[in-house]
Amino acid sequence: MKTTQTIFEDGDHKWTAIVRDPAKPEYIIDTNEYLVQHGGQALLLDPGGLEIFPAVFSALSSEFDPSKLSGIFASHQDPDIISSLALWLEFNPEMRCYISWLWESFIPHFGGTAETFVPLPDEGASIPLGGLQLQAIPAHYLHSAGNLHLYDKQAKILFSGDVGAALLPADKSGLFVEDFSTHIRHAEGFHRRWMGSNEAKRQWCERVSHLDIDMMCPQHGAIYRGEDIQRFINWFDGLHVGVLRS
Amino acid sequence: MTAELTASEWRGSGTYSSGAALDLLRVVRINEEIKRVVSVAFKINIMALNAIFLAKRAGNAALGFGVLSNELRVFSKDLRESMMALTRQIHELVSEVSVVLQESRQDAIFRRAATEAPDHPKLAAVLGVRDTRHAAREATISTLRRGLRLAVDDVARLVELGGVLAKSAKIEAAYGASFASSLGQFSGEFDGIVEEIRSSLDNLRRSSFFGGSA
Repeated sequence: MKTTQTIFEDGDHKWTAIVRDPAKPEYIIDTNEYLVQHGGQALLLDPGGLEIFPAVFSALSSEFDPSKLSGIFASHQDPDIISSLALWLEFNPEMRCYISWLWESFIPHFGGTAETFVPLPDEGASIPLGGLQLQAIPAHYLHSAGNLHLYDKQAKILFSGDVGAALLPADKSGLFVEDFSTHIRHAEGFHRRWMGSNEAKRQWCERVSHLDIDMMCPQHGAIYRGEDIQRFINWFDGLHVGVLRS
Repeated sequence: MTAELTASEWRGSGTYSSGAALDLLRVVRINEEIKRVVSVAFKINIMALNAIFLAKRAGNAALGFGVLSNELRVFSKDLRESMMALTRQIHELVSEVSVVLQESRQDAIFRRAATEAPDHPKLAAVLGVRDTRHAAREATISTLRRGLRLAVDDVARLVELGGVLAKSAKIEAAYGASFASSLGQFSGEFDGIVEEIRSSLDNLRRSSFFGGSA
Protein backbone atom coordinates (compact mmCIF):
# COMPACT_ATOMS: atom_id res chain seq x y z
CA MET A 1 0.00 0.00 0.00
CA LYS A 2 1.15 3.55 -0.69
CA THR A 3 1.68 5.97 2.14
CA THR A 4 0.38 9.49 2.51
CA GLN A 5 2.55 12.31 3.70
CA THR A 6 1.35 15.83 4.37
CA ILE A 7 3.75 18.23 2.69
CA PHE A 8 1.84 21.45 3.38
CA GLU A 9 -0.91 22.38 5.80
CA ASP A 10 -2.46 25.71 6.67
CA GLY A 11 -5.95 25.46 8.15
CA ASP A 12 -8.12 23.58 5.67
CA HIS A 13 -5.56 24.09 2.92
CA LYS A 14 -3.50 20.94 2.57
CA TRP A 15 -1.21 19.13 0.16
CA THR A 16 -0.80 15.37 0.59
CA ALA A 17 1.72 13.28 -1.29
CA ILE A 18 0.68 9.69 -2.01
CA VAL A 19 3.92 7.84 -2.50
CA ARG A 20 6.03 4.67 -2.45
CA ASP A 21 4.28 1.32 -2.61
CA PRO A 22 6.66 -1.41 -1.38
CA ALA A 23 4.37 -4.10 -2.88
CA LYS A 24 4.48 -2.58 -6.37
CA PRO A 25 6.17 -4.89 -8.91
CA GLU A 26 9.38 -3.48 -10.34
CA TYR A 27 8.15 -3.59 -13.93
CA ILE A 28 5.73 -0.73 -13.21
CA ILE A 29 7.28 2.71 -12.89
CA ASP A 30 6.82 4.29 -9.49
CA THR A 31 4.60 7.37 -9.43
CA ASN A 32 3.71 10.12 -7.00
CA GLU A 33 0.14 11.33 -6.69
CA TYR A 34 -0.82 14.54 -4.91
CA LEU A 35 -4.06 15.55 -3.25
CA VAL A 36 -4.80 19.26 -2.83
CA GLN A 37 -7.53 20.11 -0.33
CA HIS A 38 -9.07 23.50 0.29
CA GLY A 39 -12.41 24.63 1.69
CA GLY A 40 -13.63 21.06 2.04
CA GLN A 41 -12.96 20.27 -1.63
CA ALA A 42 -10.16 18.19 -3.10
CA LEU A 43 -8.35 17.87 -6.41
CA LEU A 44 -6.28 14.80 -7.23
CA LEU A 45 -3.22 15.45 -9.39
CA ASP A 46 -2.10 12.77 -11.86
CA PRO A 47 -4.06 9.92 -10.21
CA GLY A 48 -1.96 7.23 -11.85
CA GLY A 49 -2.56 4.10 -13.87
CA LEU A 50 -5.14 1.33 -13.60
CA GLU A 51 -2.72 -1.08 -12.00
CA ILE A 52 -1.84 1.14 -9.08
CA PHE A 53 -5.42 2.26 -8.44
CA PRO A 54 -5.93 -0.01 -5.38
CA ALA A 55 -2.82 1.35 -3.68
CA VAL A 56 -3.67 5.00 -4.46
CA PHE A 57 -7.33 4.52 -3.56
CA SER A 58 -6.66 2.99 -0.16
CA ALA A 59 -4.07 5.62 0.70
CA LEU A 60 -6.28 8.48 -0.47
CA SER A 61 -9.28 7.07 1.41
CA SER A 62 -7.40 7.40 4.66
CA GLU A 63 -7.17 11.12 3.92
CA PHE A 64 -10.32 12.08 2.01
CA ASP A 65 -13.67 10.63 0.90
CA PRO A 66 -13.05 9.57 -2.74
CA SER A 67 -16.71 10.14 -3.63
CA LYS A 68 -16.27 13.81 -2.74
CA LEU A 69 -13.31 14.47 -5.03
CA SER A 70 -14.29 17.48 -7.08
CA GLY A 71 -11.77 16.92 -9.81
CA ILE A 72 -8.71 15.35 -11.29
CA PHE A 73 -5.89 17.30 -12.86
CA ALA A 74 -3.96 15.39 -15.51
CA SER A 75 -0.66 16.97 -16.52
CA HIS A 76 -0.79 15.03 -19.79
CA GLN A 77 -2.21 11.91 -21.42
CA ASP A 78 0.15 9.10 -20.47
CA PRO A 79 -1.22 5.82 -19.02
CA ASP A 80 0.75 6.20 -15.79
CA ILE A 81 -0.94 9.59 -15.37
CA ILE A 82 -4.60 9.03 -16.08
CA SER A 83 -5.52 5.50 -17.20
CA SER A 84 -7.35 4.97 -13.87
CA LEU A 85 -9.85 7.74 -14.72
CA ALA A 86 -12.81 5.40 -15.27
CA LEU A 87 -12.34 3.87 -11.82
CA TRP A 88 -12.33 7.24 -10.03
CA LEU A 89 -15.43 8.29 -11.95
CA GLU A 90 -17.28 5.29 -10.47
CA PHE A 91 -17.15 7.10 -7.12
CA ASN A 92 -18.27 10.44 -8.43
CA PRO A 93 -19.51 10.55 -12.03
CA GLU A 94 -19.89 14.33 -11.72
CA MET A 95 -16.18 14.78 -11.10
CA ARG A 96 -14.29 16.94 -13.61
CA CYS A 97 -11.02 16.12 -15.32
CA TYR A 98 -8.78 19.07 -16.18
CA ILE A 99 -6.50 18.35 -19.11
CA SER A 100 -4.85 20.18 -22.00
CA TRP A 101 -7.37 20.78 -24.80
CA LEU A 102 -5.04 18.76 -27.01
CA TRP A 103 -6.04 15.52 -25.25
CA GLU A 104 -9.72 16.28 -24.77
CA SER A 105 -10.82 13.67 -27.32
CA PHE A 106 -8.06 11.17 -26.54
CA ILE A 107 -8.49 10.76 -22.79
CA PRO A 108 -12.14 9.59 -23.13
CA HIS A 109 -10.60 6.32 -24.34
CA PHE A 110 -9.79 5.81 -20.65
CA GLY A 111 -13.35 6.72 -19.59
CA GLY A 112 -15.62 9.68 -18.87
CA THR A 113 -18.25 11.53 -20.88
CA ALA A 114 -18.29 14.83 -22.77
CA GLU A 115 -19.20 16.54 -19.48
CA THR A 116 -16.23 15.07 -17.61
CA PHE A 117 -13.52 17.04 -19.35
CA VAL A 118 -12.51 20.63 -18.84
CA PRO A 119 -10.13 21.45 -21.69
CA LEU A 120 -7.36 23.80 -20.63
CA PRO A 121 -6.02 26.29 -23.20
CA ASP A 122 -2.34 26.36 -24.19
CA GLU A 123 -1.71 29.52 -22.17
CA GLY A 124 -2.95 27.83 -18.99
CA ALA A 125 -5.95 28.65 -16.82
CA SER A 126 -7.24 29.06 -13.28
CA ILE A 127 -8.73 26.01 -11.61
CA PRO A 128 -11.04 26.82 -8.70
CA LEU A 129 -10.92 24.68 -5.58
CA GLY A 130 -13.03 25.61 -2.57
CA GLY A 131 -12.35 29.34 -2.97
CA LEU A 132 -8.70 28.85 -3.93
CA GLN A 133 -7.48 29.60 -7.45
CA LEU A 134 -4.89 27.09 -8.67
CA GLN A 135 -2.96 27.96 -11.81
CA ALA A 136 -2.41 25.55 -14.69
CA ILE A 137 1.03 26.51 -16.04
CA PRO A 138 2.09 25.71 -19.64
CA ALA A 139 4.78 23.03 -19.93
CA HIS A 140 4.12 21.92 -23.51
CA TYR A 141 6.59 19.48 -25.05
CA LEU A 142 7.90 18.70 -21.55
CA HIS A 143 7.42 15.97 -22.43
CA SER A 144 3.96 15.80 -23.95
CA ALA A 145 2.80 18.11 -26.78
CA GLY A 146 -0.04 19.24 -24.51
CA ASN A 147 1.44 19.43 -21.02
CA LEU A 148 0.47 21.53 -18.02
CA HIS A 149 1.79 21.91 -14.50
CA LEU A 150 -0.16 23.17 -11.50
CA TYR A 151 0.90 26.05 -9.29
CA ASP A 152 -0.57 26.83 -5.90
CA LYS A 153 0.42 30.43 -5.19
CA GLN A 154 -0.78 30.30 -1.61
CA ALA A 155 1.08 27.12 -0.66
CA LYS A 156 3.98 28.04 -2.98
CA ILE A 157 3.96 24.56 -4.46
CA LEU A 158 4.50 23.69 -8.10
CA PHE A 159 3.32 20.29 -9.28
CA SER A 160 5.72 19.74 -12.17
CA GLY A 161 4.56 16.48 -13.76
CA ASP A 162 7.49 14.75 -15.44
CA VAL A 163 9.80 17.76 -15.10
CA GLY A 164 12.10 17.08 -12.18
CA ALA A 165 11.27 13.36 -12.33
CA ALA A 166 13.99 10.96 -11.24
CA LEU A 167 14.16 7.20 -11.57
CA LEU A 168 15.47 6.43 -8.12
CA PRO A 169 17.09 3.18 -7.01
CA ALA A 170 15.35 1.23 -4.25
CA ASP A 171 17.74 2.45 -1.56
CA LYS A 172 16.93 6.10 -2.33
CA SER A 173 13.25 6.24 -1.56
CA GLY A 174 13.17 9.42 0.53
CA LEU A 175 10.33 11.79 -0.24
CA PHE A 176 12.56 14.87 -0.48
CA VAL A 177 15.77 15.55 -2.38
CA GLU A 178 18.54 15.56 0.23
CA ASP A 179 21.67 15.87 -1.90
CA PHE A 180 20.97 17.63 -5.20
CA SER A 181 24.17 16.61 -7.00
CA THR A 182 23.63 12.92 -6.21
CA HIS A 183 19.92 13.05 -6.93
CA ILE A 184 20.17 14.78 -10.28
CA ARG A 185 22.22 11.88 -11.72
CA HIS A 186 19.03 9.82 -11.52
CA ALA A 187 17.14 12.54 -13.40
CA GLU A 188 19.58 13.35 -16.20
CA GLY A 189 18.98 10.46 -18.61
CA PHE A 190 15.24 10.78 -18.17
CA HIS A 191 15.23 14.50 -19.01
CA ARG A 192 17.59 14.19 -21.97
CA ARG A 193 15.45 11.51 -23.56
CA TRP A 194 11.93 12.46 -22.56
CA MET A 195 11.98 16.23 -22.85
CA GLY A 196 11.53 16.91 -26.54
CA SER A 197 12.30 20.58 -27.07
CA ASN A 198 15.16 22.82 -25.94
CA GLU A 199 13.07 25.86 -26.85
CA ALA A 200 10.13 24.69 -24.73
CA LYS A 201 12.51 23.88 -21.88
CA ARG A 202 14.00 27.40 -22.11
CA GLN A 203 10.56 28.98 -21.96
CA TRP A 204 9.52 26.81 -19.00
CA CYS A 205 12.66 27.73 -17.04
CA GLU A 206 12.01 31.40 -17.73
CA ARG A 207 8.35 31.13 -16.73
CA VAL A 208 8.93 29.11 -13.57
CA SER A 209 11.83 31.21 -12.33
CA HIS A 210 9.34 34.07 -11.85
CA LEU A 211 7.15 32.00 -9.54
CA ASP A 212 7.56 31.96 -5.81
CA ILE A 213 8.10 28.25 -5.11
CA ASP A 214 8.88 26.47 -1.85
CA MET A 215 8.35 22.96 -3.19
CA MET A 216 8.53 21.49 -6.67
CA CYS A 217 6.68 18.16 -6.80
CA PRO A 218 7.35 15.82 -9.73
CA GLN A 219 5.28 12.77 -10.66
CA HIS A 220 8.27 10.43 -10.26
CA GLY A 221 11.07 10.58 -7.72
CA ALA A 222 11.60 13.09 -4.93
CA ILE A 223 10.34 16.57 -4.08
CA TYR A 224 12.67 19.57 -4.48
CA ARG A 225 12.65 22.16 -1.70
CA GLY A 226 14.18 25.56 -1.06
CA GLU A 227 17.36 26.31 -2.99
CA ASP A 228 17.24 22.97 -4.77
CA ILE A 229 14.42 24.37 -6.89
CA GLN A 230 16.60 27.11 -8.40
CA ARG A 231 19.42 24.58 -8.69
CA PHE A 232 17.11 22.37 -10.69
CA ILE A 233 15.94 25.21 -12.94
CA ASN A 234 19.56 26.20 -13.65
CA TRP A 235 20.56 22.60 -14.26
CA PHE A 236 17.60 21.99 -16.58
CA ASP A 237 18.25 25.26 -18.42
CA GLY A 238 21.76 24.09 -19.25
CA LEU A 239 20.80 20.55 -20.21
CA HIS A 240 20.66 19.63 -23.88
CA VAL A 241 17.43 17.68 -24.26
CA GLY A 242 15.66 15.80 -27.04
CA VAL A 243 18.59 13.50 -27.70
CA LEU A 244 18.62 9.73 -27.92
CA ARG A 245 21.89 9.31 -26.03
CA SER A 246 23.91 11.69 -23.93
CA MET B 1 -1.53 -6.88 0.15
CA THR B 2 1.60 -8.84 0.93
CA ALA B 3 4.94 -8.64 -0.79
CA GLU B 4 4.78 -12.43 -1.42
CA LEU B 5 2.08 -12.09 -4.07
CA THR B 6 3.12 -13.04 -7.57
CA ALA B 7 2.93 -10.47 -10.34
CA SER B 8 -0.17 -12.07 -11.90
CA GLU B 9 -1.93 -12.19 -8.52
CA TRP B 10 -1.00 -8.56 -8.01
CA ARG B 11 -2.61 -7.71 -11.33
CA GLY B 12 -5.76 -9.43 -10.09
CA SER B 13 -6.09 -11.80 -13.05
CA GLY B 14 -8.67 -13.95 -11.29
CA THR B 15 -11.41 -16.22 -12.64
CA TYR B 16 -13.69 -13.24 -13.03
CA SER B 17 -11.78 -11.91 -16.00
CA SER B 18 -10.59 -15.25 -17.36
CA GLY B 19 -14.27 -16.39 -17.66
CA ALA B 20 -15.10 -13.44 -19.89
CA ALA B 21 -11.86 -13.87 -21.84
CA LEU B 22 -12.70 -17.54 -22.40
CA ASP B 23 -16.21 -16.64 -23.57
CA LEU B 24 -14.79 -14.08 -25.97
CA LEU B 25 -12.39 -16.68 -27.36
CA ARG B 26 -15.26 -19.14 -27.82
CA VAL B 27 -17.39 -16.53 -29.58
CA VAL B 28 -14.47 -15.67 -31.85
CA ARG B 29 -14.11 -19.39 -32.74
CA ILE B 30 -17.85 -19.60 -33.46
CA ASN B 31 -17.52 -16.55 -35.68
CA GLU B 32 -14.68 -18.20 -37.62
CA GLU B 33 -16.86 -21.30 -38.18
CA ILE B 34 -19.75 -19.10 -39.34
CA LYS B 35 -17.43 -17.31 -41.77
CA ARG B 36 -16.45 -20.72 -43.18
CA VAL B 37 -20.12 -21.63 -43.75
CA VAL B 38 -20.87 -18.23 -45.31
CA SER B 39 -18.06 -18.74 -47.78
CA VAL B 40 -19.34 -22.25 -48.65
CA ALA B 41 -22.92 -20.95 -49.00
CA PHE B 42 -21.66 -18.52 -51.63
CA LYS B 43 -20.08 -21.44 -53.49
CA ILE B 44 -23.43 -23.29 -53.55
CA ASN B 45 -25.08 -20.33 -55.27
CA ILE B 46 -22.57 -20.51 -58.15
CA MET B 47 -22.93 -24.30 -58.30
CA ALA B 48 -26.72 -24.05 -58.46
CA LEU B 49 -26.45 -21.60 -61.35
CA ASN B 50 -24.15 -23.99 -63.23
CA ALA B 51 -26.55 -26.85 -62.46
CA ILE B 52 -29.43 -24.90 -64.05
CA PHE B 53 -27.38 -24.38 -67.27
CA LEU B 54 -26.38 -28.03 -67.29
CA ALA B 55 -30.01 -29.17 -66.85
CA LYS B 56 -31.09 -26.86 -69.71
CA ARG B 57 -28.47 -28.39 -71.99
CA ALA B 58 -29.51 -31.93 -70.99
CA GLY B 59 -33.11 -31.09 -71.95
CA ASN B 60 -35.77 -33.73 -71.36
CA ALA B 61 -33.26 -36.16 -69.86
CA ALA B 62 -32.72 -33.81 -66.90
CA LEU B 63 -36.15 -32.32 -66.21
CA GLY B 64 -36.14 -33.54 -62.61
CA PHE B 65 -32.58 -32.35 -62.17
CA GLY B 66 -33.64 -28.92 -63.46
CA VAL B 67 -36.34 -28.64 -60.82
CA LEU B 68 -33.81 -29.62 -58.16
CA SER B 69 -31.30 -27.04 -59.45
CA ASN B 70 -33.84 -24.29 -58.95
CA GLU B 71 -34.51 -25.58 -55.45
CA LEU B 72 -30.78 -25.51 -54.82
CA ARG B 73 -30.65 -21.82 -55.72
CA VAL B 74 -33.47 -21.12 -53.31
CA PHE B 75 -31.66 -23.21 -50.69
CA SER B 76 -28.40 -21.30 -51.20
CA LYS B 77 -30.23 -17.97 -50.89
CA ASP B 78 -31.99 -19.09 -47.68
CA LEU B 79 -28.72 -20.40 -46.30
CA ARG B 80 -26.90 -17.14 -46.99
CA GLU B 81 -29.66 -15.11 -45.35
CA SER B 82 -29.63 -17.37 -42.29
CA MET B 83 -25.87 -17.10 -42.04
CA MET B 84 -26.04 -13.30 -42.32
CA ALA B 85 -28.52 -13.27 -39.43
CA LEU B 86 -26.13 -15.49 -37.46
CA THR B 87 -23.28 -13.08 -38.23
CA ARG B 88 -25.30 -10.16 -36.89
CA GLN B 89 -26.08 -12.10 -33.71
CA ILE B 90 -22.47 -13.07 -33.23
CA HIS B 91 -21.34 -9.44 -33.64
CA GLU B 92 -23.78 -8.39 -30.96
CA LEU B 93 -22.42 -11.13 -28.70
CA VAL B 94 -18.81 -10.14 -29.35
CA SER B 95 -19.65 -6.59 -28.42
CA GLU B 96 -21.41 -7.59 -25.16
CA VAL B 97 -18.75 -10.09 -24.10
CA SER B 98 -16.01 -7.53 -24.86
CA VAL B 99 -17.65 -5.08 -22.46
CA VAL B 100 -17.82 -7.81 -19.80
CA LEU B 101 -14.14 -8.50 -20.35
CA GLN B 102 -13.29 -4.81 -19.93
CA GLU B 103 -15.54 -4.48 -16.87
CA SER B 104 -14.21 -7.63 -15.26
CA ARG B 105 -10.70 -6.29 -15.55
CA GLN B 106 -11.82 -3.20 -13.67
CA ASP B 107 -13.66 -5.39 -11.16
CA ALA B 108 -10.45 -7.25 -10.43
CA ILE B 109 -8.81 -3.90 -9.66
CA PHE B 110 -11.71 -2.79 -7.45
CA ARG B 111 -11.54 -6.09 -5.57
CA ARG B 112 -7.84 -5.54 -5.00
CA ALA B 113 -8.71 -2.09 -3.69
CA ALA B 114 -11.25 -3.75 -1.35
CA THR B 115 -8.45 -5.94 -0.02
CA GLU B 116 -6.30 -2.88 0.65
CA ALA B 117 -9.14 -0.80 2.07
CA PRO B 118 -11.47 -3.36 3.68
CA ASP B 119 -14.95 -2.33 4.84
CA HIS B 120 -14.81 0.87 2.81
CA PRO B 121 -18.52 1.80 2.47
CA LYS B 122 -18.12 3.80 -0.76
CA LEU B 123 -16.14 1.00 -2.38
CA ALA B 124 -18.76 -1.55 -1.29
CA ALA B 125 -21.47 0.68 -2.82
CA VAL B 126 -19.58 0.95 -6.11
CA LEU B 127 -19.05 -2.82 -6.20
CA GLY B 128 -22.78 -3.30 -5.51
CA VAL B 129 -23.77 -1.04 -8.43
CA ARG B 130 -21.30 -2.82 -10.68
CA ASP B 131 -22.64 -6.24 -9.64
CA THR B 132 -26.18 -5.15 -10.57
CA ARG B 133 -24.91 -3.90 -13.92
CA HIS B 134 -23.06 -7.18 -14.53
CA ALA B 135 -26.16 -9.22 -13.68
CA ALA B 136 -28.14 -7.26 -16.31
CA ARG B 137 -25.39 -7.75 -18.87
CA GLU B 138 -25.11 -11.46 -18.08
CA ALA B 139 -28.87 -11.77 -18.63
CA THR B 140 -28.48 -10.06 -22.03
CA ILE B 141 -25.65 -12.41 -22.94
CA SER B 142 -27.72 -15.45 -21.89
CA THR B 143 -30.57 -14.28 -24.12
CA LEU B 144 -28.19 -13.71 -27.03
CA ARG B 145 -26.57 -17.10 -26.39
CA ARG B 146 -29.97 -18.85 -26.48
CA GLY B 147 -30.96 -16.91 -29.61
CA LEU B 148 -27.73 -17.87 -31.33
CA ARG B 149 -28.14 -21.53 -30.41
CA LEU B 150 -31.72 -21.53 -31.80
CA ALA B 151 -30.52 -19.83 -34.97
CA VAL B 152 -27.77 -22.46 -35.38
CA ASP B 153 -30.42 -25.19 -34.96
CA ASP B 154 -32.58 -23.50 -37.63
CA VAL B 155 -29.65 -23.47 -40.03
CA ALA B 156 -28.98 -27.12 -39.23
CA ARG B 157 -32.57 -27.97 -40.22
CA LEU B 158 -32.14 -26.00 -43.43
CA VAL B 159 -28.98 -27.91 -44.18
CA GLU B 160 -30.84 -31.20 -43.68
CA LEU B 161 -33.09 -30.03 -46.52
CA GLY B 162 -29.94 -29.34 -48.55
CA GLY B 163 -28.85 -32.91 -47.82
CA VAL B 164 -32.14 -34.27 -49.14
CA LEU B 165 -31.77 -32.11 -52.29
CA ALA B 166 -28.26 -33.46 -52.80
CA LYS B 167 -29.40 -37.08 -52.49
CA SER B 168 -32.32 -36.46 -54.87
CA ALA B 169 -29.94 -34.79 -57.33
CA LYS B 170 -27.79 -37.92 -57.25
CA ILE B 171 -30.81 -40.07 -58.15
CA GLU B 172 -31.97 -37.68 -60.87
CA ALA B 173 -28.45 -37.58 -62.32
CA ALA B 174 -28.67 -41.30 -63.03
CA TYR B 175 -31.53 -40.54 -65.47
CA GLY B 176 -29.47 -37.97 -67.31
CA ALA B 177 -28.61 -40.22 -70.29
CA SER B 178 -25.46 -38.84 -71.95
CA PHE B 179 -25.27 -36.11 -69.26
CA ALA B 180 -25.47 -38.63 -66.43
CA SER B 181 -21.74 -38.45 -65.74
CA SER B 182 -21.60 -34.60 -65.55
CA LEU B 183 -24.81 -34.43 -63.53
CA GLY B 184 -23.50 -37.15 -61.23
CA GLN B 185 -20.23 -35.28 -60.70
CA PHE B 186 -22.14 -32.12 -59.89
CA SER B 187 -24.51 -33.80 -57.42
CA GLY B 188 -21.53 -35.51 -55.75
CA GLU B 189 -19.77 -32.17 -55.30
CA PHE B 190 -22.93 -30.63 -53.93
CA ASP B 191 -23.35 -33.50 -51.48
CA GLY B 192 -19.74 -32.95 -50.33
CA ILE B 193 -20.38 -29.27 -49.71
CA VAL B 194 -23.52 -29.96 -47.71
CA GLU B 195 -21.51 -32.41 -45.60
CA GLU B 196 -18.89 -29.71 -45.06
CA ILE B 197 -21.55 -27.31 -43.82
CA ARG B 198 -23.11 -29.99 -41.63
CA SER B 199 -19.72 -30.68 -40.05
CA SER B 200 -19.19 -26.95 -39.35
CA LEU B 201 -22.63 -26.71 -37.78
CA ASP B 202 -21.91 -29.76 -35.62
CA ASN B 203 -18.75 -28.00 -34.42
CA LEU B 204 -20.81 -24.91 -33.60
CA ARG B 205 -23.39 -26.89 -31.65
CA ARG B 206 -20.67 -28.67 -29.68
CA SER B 207 -19.02 -25.35 -28.70
CA SER B 208 -18.47 -25.01 -24.98
CA PHE B 209 -20.09 -21.58 -25.35
CA PHE B 210 -23.36 -23.53 -25.61
CA GLY B 211 -22.32 -25.92 -22.85
CA GLY B 212 -20.78 -28.47 -25.23
CA SER B 213 -17.33 -30.06 -25.10
CA ALA B 214 -15.61 -28.33 -28.05
